Amino acid sequence: MSVSASEARPAGSGPVVWSAIIGTTCLLLFFLQKLLWLVVPALLALILYYLLYPLMNRLIFRGVSRDSAAAVIMLWFLALMSAGGLMLAPWLTQRFASANASVTRYIQGGLKLLDQSLRALETAWEPLANANLATTVAQRLQNAGGHFAEYIEPVAMGVMVWAPSLLLAPFLAFFFLRDGQRFKRFLSEAVPNAIFERSLNLLNEVDRTLRAYFIGLMKLTVLDTITLAAGLALLNIPGALALGFICAVLAWIPYVGTIAGGLLVVLVAATDFPADPVMAYRAIALFAVARMLDDFVYMPITIGKSLRMHPLITVLMIFVGGAIAGVSGLMLVLPLLGVVMVFGKTVGAIVTDDRLVARYRHGRELRRKAASNDLV
Amino acid sequence: MRNPFNRNAASPSLERLRDLSLFVDLSQSELRLVDTLMHQRTYLANEVIFDEGEEGHAIYIVLDGEVAITRQVQGETSEIARLGVGTFFGELALLDGAPRSADARAVRESKLAVFFREDFLELLDTHGRIASKIARQLARHIGSRMREMALAVGAHQHL
Repeated sequence: MSVSASEARPAGSGPVVWSAIIGTTCLLLFFLQKLLWLVVPALLALILYYLLYPLMNRLIFRGVSRDSAAAVIMLWFLALMSAGGLMLAPWLTQRFASANASVTRYIQGGLKLLDQSLRALETAWEPLANANLATTVAQRLQNAGGHFAEYIEPVAMGVMVWAPSLLLAPFLAFFFLRDGQRFKRFLSEAVPNAIFERSLNLLNEVDRTLRAYFIGLMKLTVLDTITLAAGLALLNIPGALALGFICAVLAWIPYVGTIAGGLLVVLVAATDFPADPVMAYRAIALFAVARMLDDFVYMPITIGKSLRMHPLITVLMIFVGGAIAGVSGLMLVLPLLGVVMVFGKTVGAIVTDDRLVARYRHGRELRRKAASNDLV
Repeated sequence: MRNPFNRNAASPSLERLRDLSLFVDLSQSELRLVDTLMHQRTYLANEVIFDEGEEGHAIYIVLDGEVAITRQVQGETSEIARLGVGTFFGELALLDGAPRSADARAVRESKLAVFFREDFLELLDTHGRIASKIARQLARHIGSRMREMALAVGAHQHL
């Protein structure tokens, strides 16, 4: 009965659904951090998929079949990457060969700047001079510096272990491009008639959410790179474009990435201009301005409302993600929450819709009767 | 078990789609592309396809069987149409997500092809030519429905 059907519809997602969404996101984060070797290439493959998808569609539009278009686009991408790799290889080899010396030089430059700044503070404020702040900090850093290699080695080993799995990314992206539509059909066939439309709409919504998030993230990276590179070039800091790009990529990790990027720029400025500490302060000011632009201008026009989440939940979940799964948690928490949110809201709407549940039971009963019709 | 990634799996609905007024302007290759976006469902006799008031996301095409379109008028169920093979219903969902204006229920076991608004909107972006051919037929169909309704109302007032 339709009158009761419309009355049976739920009002929307309540606190139970939201608790389930947040709980599921936390659980997924906990398990996914154990599978980083797969999660990282899968994430990169998704980004690649959304970037290459419009190009593949252009080929399909010109009459190329989906299979051929996916293959052509992926081959084109791999050729482009190989050409880029070959061009950069001599420069990269040179950089890696002197990496150890460069890292030490930049850390020394940063420590020197810190020492100069603290001594300037001691001169300006007597209580700090009485506490021997500069000497104490220098001693503590000296002690910590002795263990520097101990921190770097396991990180480097970890990266070396799962770095080959990054090769999975283009492989996965190719199959996402080629079989995405077929996979959607396959999933839809497993869904009962009563919830078929809602479920397909859910899949579309998840796709839309992820597409908006990842495309937004790429646009944000380009804008951040341009802003930082322009600012650093104005300050005459060498390697402005490369530094800007590295900082923009580091900013994918909320908070921690931004701080790491800022620190990197300050270290470079302090080391390359040892006699001019003002340059490092200018770099800090530039980073603060870029951060403000990022938060108030770039983010709203790129990622902005792609996840359609309350800002309080976004910030809280970033902290929760960091607490559960460290840096990987910080990176994964927002896209994961976006997907779980869409999924949770739809499942919540389905299971609390008495009419849909009744239709599902009715359909199942009809099928049961049809299957046993000739057995009576 | 069927392989979900079988690229050569031809949809049995392709022949039926060719005869539909909605796709009458499409070439064979265009029709094949549209067919890859279609979903097929089987409904048993008396099974509900959608309810009045439900948010619409897709258009349904009758490939086999029969579907009754009904409405609740003052607590009574009144059948407003009975649709056979080659007809389609729920077409307004291709244009917006407005609530369904009537109930749809299978009269006997029916096979339906389902075409989602999201896929139609993507066609508009990627294959504007195909989408415009479908949209033109859709506009014609809705236009003729409106004329029929206007005539029915006019006749009723006359009586």
